[in-house]
Amino acid sequence: MVRTIHGRSEERLAYWAMVLPAVLLYLLVLGFPIVISIILSVSNYNGGKMFGGQPWRIVGFQQFERLMRDSFFWAALKNNIYIVLVSVFGQLPLGFIFAYLIYRRIVKFGDFWQAVLYMPNIISVIVIGIMWAIIFSPNGLIAEIMNRLYASSISHQITQIFNAAGGFNITDDVVRQLIHASGPVASQTFTDPPTELKQLILTYDPTKLEVLKHDLVNLLGAKWTPTFLTKPDVAMLPVLFVILWCWTGLYLILFLANMQKIDAQIIEAARIDGASEGQVMGRVVLPSLSGVIVNAAILCIAGSLNSFALVFAMTRGGPARVTELLSIYMYDAAFFGTPNYPLANAIALSIVFLSMILIVLTKLVEKRYGGRE
Amino acid sequence: MKKTLFLALVLVLAMLVPMTAMAQATPLRFMYYIDASQAGYAEDQAIWQKFKDDNTDIDLQMEILFNQPFHEKLGAYIAAGNIPDVIYMWPSSRSSSAILHQMHLMKDLTPLLGKTFLSNFVAPAVNPKAQASGYLAELPQSITYTTVMYANKKLLADNGFGLPKTYADLKAMVPRLKAKGIQVITLPDGDGWQMQSCLFSTVVGRMLGDGWVDQVKTGKVKFTDPRYVAALSFIDTTFKDGVIPRADVQLGYGDGPTLFASGKAAFIIDGDWRQGFYLTDKSTGQALIDPAMQGTDYAFINFPAIPGEKNPGVVSAIAGVGLGISAAIPKGSDREKAAVRLLKYYYSPEVQQIKLETGAFIPSLKGVTSDKLEPFTQMMPKYYAGINRISYVLDGVLDPGVCNNFINKGLQDIGLGNKTPRQVAADTEKAMADWRATQ
Repeated sequence: MVRTIHGRSEERLAYWAMVLPAVLLYLLVLGFPIVISIILSVSNYNGGKMFGGQPWRIVGFQQFERLMRDSFFWAALKNNIYIVLVSVFGQLPLGFIFAYLIYRRIVKFGDFWQAVLYMPNIISVIVIGIMWAIIFSPNGLIAEIMNRLYASSISHQITQIFNAAGGFNITDDVVRQLIHASGPVASQTFTDPPTELKQLILTYDPTKLEVLKHDLVNLLGAKWTPTFLTKPDVAMLPVLFVILWCWTGLYLILFLANMQKIDAQIIEAARIDGASEGQVMGRVVLPSLSGVIVNAAILCIAGSLNSFALVFAMTRGGPARVTELLSIYMYDAAFFGTPNYPLANAIALSIVFLSMILIVLTKLVEKRYGGRE
Repeated sequence: MKKTLFLALVLVLAMLVPMTAMAQATPLRFMYYIDASQAGYAEDQAIWQKFKDDNTDIDLQMEILFNQPFHEKLGAYIAAGNIPDVIYMWPSSRSSSAILHQMHLMKDLTPLLGKTFLSNFVAPAVNPKAQASGYLAELPQSITYTTVMYANKKLLADNGFGLPKTYADLKAMVPRLKAKGIQVITLPDGDGWQMQSCLFSTVVGRMLGDGWVDQVKTGKVKFTDPRYVAALSFIDTTFKDGVIPRADVQLGYGDGPTLFASGKAAFIIDGDWRQGFYLTDKSTGQALIDPAMQGTDYAFINFPAIPGEKNPGVVSAIAGVGLGISAAIPKGSDREKAAVRLLKYYYSPEVQQIKLETGAFIPSLKGVTSDKLEPFTQMMPKYYAGINRISYVLDGVLDPGVCNNFINKGLQDIGLGNKTPRQVAADTEKAMADWRATQ
């Protein structure tokens, strides 16, 4: 009996000896910052030496109250929710479907597609952000293509108008036709389009009709500028697209690796029993991976709420803060202008709090509807 | 045996002498700010190497960072109560510098550098009221004019235009330049601060004046004042007239010089600091604008007359960045003496001349000149000479929270057509009222 107690005591001692360093390290690198963050969020600390510097004190939940009234916080939260939705209901289903297509060899060259879809994951997100920012820029690739299409269209109309007029024959009717061809552009450029446009055209050398036509294309052609991407809500679309493009491959790999662990005989048996590919996917593979899906969803949610680098590199939350996320708001509160550390920490804690709620919800859903692996 | 002993003694002495010298050297931590990719970086590094070579009794420990990493690292040092001895800093509440000023973490340089030394600088540079701390926490290396209109004279002449005198002149350029695929002005505002700092502050200075800004801080007037709404409306007009394209709100700060130098914009509105960007990079021999054309084809002009302005010709300006000394250094210590020596070296005519030649800035130290200057650097003092009055740069005098979140963002909203000037003014006043309540 004594020997047993002694043995248990030794066992407990050995257990603590092995676990304690890790626990202490964990508390030091994770627990301590969390505690400090909680303290700062309810303090009036506004920079400088934290211990032994200017006095600061606990002032309560002022910053959390401020957040509740802060339109920037709600706008940023809404953008984060968009990312969560795209991640959970975009990346995961797409990743799953792509993985299934490759796993069941429904598409050819599975390895190739796997590599292509995973490729964005091996590129720095900063590089990806900058690359897509350039593509979506008013002087970027999309704008260039669209402007060439617009120019081509109006160039054709202008040529027809001058051909019908017999060359440099600038009548009121020709000017009216040019204005009509330009749509709203002429009235945006001139106060009195018929008079001002005619005056401008008449300053050109009649022998240089091609120069005039070229300039009229510049002057009257519509310009594709991505101003629609500056409107609240819509502005997030390119960001969401890039997020989907960037990380779907990660979940593809995750799901594919787990699908390969499923006993092939089960699937074969289902197929022999007459199950279609859709039924195999929905009733055999999907339930088998429910645990993986939940873990992937947790990764998705946590990643979405603290996503920062990609959006920061791509838009920096702008223009006019329409693509701001909670993490960018937190960063700005801490490091931009006069730092507001309590506010920044309150935002950080709200991210943690939201993550916890969403993860608990995910677990509940899995418990209620999930299958057994 | 004696020979071996002698050699061992020489060896020990040879090791001890430098160690003793090292031990006597005063350590001096210096946090400096420069973009390692910019033209003039090599010359800048040579400046500091010369200081190290000439001052072997000082162990200069330099930490060179740029942009946000600088502010974040300094913020961490401040929070840890471990700020470097000498710091590159801003005169206003710019990021990490805000706390240095607010908490008086830097020494007053006036007694340390002495009146004789400071008398060599232009008066606005040594004005303590120009600094957020209310004393000379850093010595501004330049006076920064935030609204300079860089004009492509040749491009204008080729299209039948001269330099504009009024806003109407600018507006008249729109159709013809647009026909040639050229925008009138580029003012990329994607980062949010450029419109406020490089144009709107001047507009406010001209239409309302510094007195109005002082009053708005105390609440005697409000941002909803029709005169302020009129200033915002002028910015709205520049977008509506097509003088500044709305797409510029989506462009990054770095996009502007490329558009201007490639002839896709007739003007760029930027700060005076940007002239150095167009000069020859000695490491590559390349210049964004060929020095041979800088003087003949380009001009630096004041923004033309604005309808309704009551202070014609006013341009927004602010004391520039510079070096400050940590208040944590004991008074009269060797470290303090070393820091003062470093500052006096940096602000010496020799070093300031190098900075001028590399186009880094136009020094606030009087009489600095050189015969090696590219035309753009020579043109900037002439531009200054044409300015009779200056006004506040708004982000230098207003609360950064109000300025960044409501004025800067509001100007972007106006540019994008998302909000009217009246709405932006109302939002700003609400934020300002909250700020006033905390004061």
